[in-house]
Amino acid sequence: MTSVTRLFIDSTRALKMWRVWTYLGVQDIKAKFHRSFFGPLWIVLTTGFFVTGVGLIYGLLFGQPVHEFLPYLACGFALWGFIVASITDASATFVRAEGYIKQFSYPKQIYLLRTLISSVIVLLIGIAVVIPVQLFFNEITPLGWLYALPGLALLIMAALGHIAVSAYLGARFRDFPHAMAVMLQMMFFITPIMFPIKLLHEKGLGFIYQFNPLYYLIDVVRHPIIQGELALPENYLYAGVYVLATWVAALLVAYKLDSRVVFLL
Amino acid sequence: MTRASLILKNVDITFEGALSSEEGLKSWLKRKLLTRNVDTATNYRIEALKGINLEINHGERVGLIGLNGAGKSTLLKVMADIYPPTAGSVSIKGHVCPMFEFATGFEMNQSGWDNIRIRGLLLGMSADAIEEKLPEIAAFTELGDFLDYPVRTYSSGMFIRLAFAVSTSINPEILLIDESYNANPASMTATLKQLGREKCDRRIAVLGEMRELGTQSARYHADLAEPVLEAHVDAAILVGREMAALAHRLHGEVDVRHVPDSAGALKALEEIASPGDVVLVKGSNAIGLSGLVREAAAGRLAHGKSACSM
Repeated sequence: MTSVTRLFIDSTRALKMWRVWTYLGVQDIKAKFHRSFFGPLWIVLTTGFFVTGVGLIYGLLFGQPVHEFLPYLACGFALWGFIVASITDASATFVRAEGYIKQFSYPKQIYLLRTLISSVIVLLIGIAVVIPVQLFFNEITPLGWLYALPGLALLIMAALGHIAVSAYLGARFRDFPHAMAVMLQMMFFITPIMFPIKLLHEKGLGFIYQFNPLYYLIDVVRHPIIQGELALPENYLYAGVYVLATWVAALLVAYKLDSRVVFLL
Repeated sequence: MTRASLILKNVDITFEGALSSEEGLKSWLKRKLLTRNVDTATNYRIEALKGINLEINHGERVGLIGLNGAGKSTLLKVMADIYPPTAGSVSIKGHVCPMFEFATGFEMNQSGWDNIRIRGLLLGMSADAIEEKLPEIAAFTELGDFLDYPVRTYSSGMFIRLAFAVSTSINPEILLIDESYNANPASMTATLKQLGREKCDRRIAVLGEMRELGTQSARYHADLAEPVLEAHVDAAILVGREMAALAHRLHGEVDVRHVPDSAGALKALEEIASPGDVVLVKGSNAIGLSGLVREAAAGRLAHGKSACSM
């Protein structure tokens, strides 16, 4: 059996065991907020404080109307947090599951899906914060939320690619999560989250986001939610190409490391 | 139902890598940047298994016996599809239930109930089956109200009870058991049962104390009295302080000798063993009873057939 067919068989087996990874993922969320008074409400609070604080200051700084800027910021913040989690937190996927990997013979992919589940739960809670903000400013378009679904699907698929790459590399190179944290911190400042893209355009700095794949991932979800219409067709295309790229990378990394993971822990 | 089988062909397992100080990025960069051969002193290469051929068919029970470091656990992990073989092939037909480590793989902050569910799922039970068997498993753990507590509050004995209860509640097609970690009440009982089935003149059990059982330790030791009596043990040599409770319980029922250590056990065994006896030796690694087995195997014990299980 070649490694590729084995990977394929393992992955389909893992998908079929959705009960296992959804349960583990939900348990991770419970454990994360274990014994905390606010529980998962902390996700809401984090977004809320960030948006009010940063929103008011940057809104003034960039001369943005608050009723447009706050929902934009809240949405971008939740989506960015999800992307970061799919890269840095995900690096510990196999390391955290060491106790399981060394004694149960289940396909390791279930641990990737477990990480995906818990990150998606956090994302959904975070993005739900946008609703009250939009309601407050009377900016909500229910249809826009519907239009966000295809973009959301792309984003989640990209996250799965990220998680796979990070989980394998994170087990092999323990420097990986730290290096990624530094890189993502830089990316945070050049990705349009705290500022709208039209500011970049006005200054002739459009290239800053145009060559940033993470911008497209965010835009295909954020644009429909904020503007109530689908994002630009080419943005879906770019996001789709990026998803493919992450999956190819994931396949390569898994091909190289899958059979070695148990020895690396 | 498929007929379960396990076939290993020419299986090698080689552990290779860099020592911890040279792991990861450092060794990777070294290999990439230096064209000359990297100093191999910082790398290790251990051939744990070499050329293993094995066929186990439906309905067979196979025991693996060997000294510490012989590769028993490694072989089991290959059979469970946890270690991919470095060379050779492994073919497994049937659902495998591994019972390897009873001390790891817990979600520390979650309750005993949740951990039962997680282990059940990972051992291949369906969610419905787990809910159905939950009361039975819970009763078997004898943990009572402690199941509501997060498992980080458990003693190591309680971990073992929980894990063992889940593992034994399923009916797997292939069951792999590794006892290397430690002696525990369950494994002690199981081996004593096996001793009871041996045909022989006299049965002698050399039992080392079970370590790390927590506050209930004395009770767990005393509870072994029943399996000892059921196995028709004629003489028992009990090793270690923790065994006092069992020695007390067995007093007057069988010939009991309570000794402090492995050396004392060897002396006692030399005194009582005679041709035709079957001797069972079992205990935590920490007790060092493997030395006694080695002596016995080397024929230092003038007579007697020894059945050892570590």
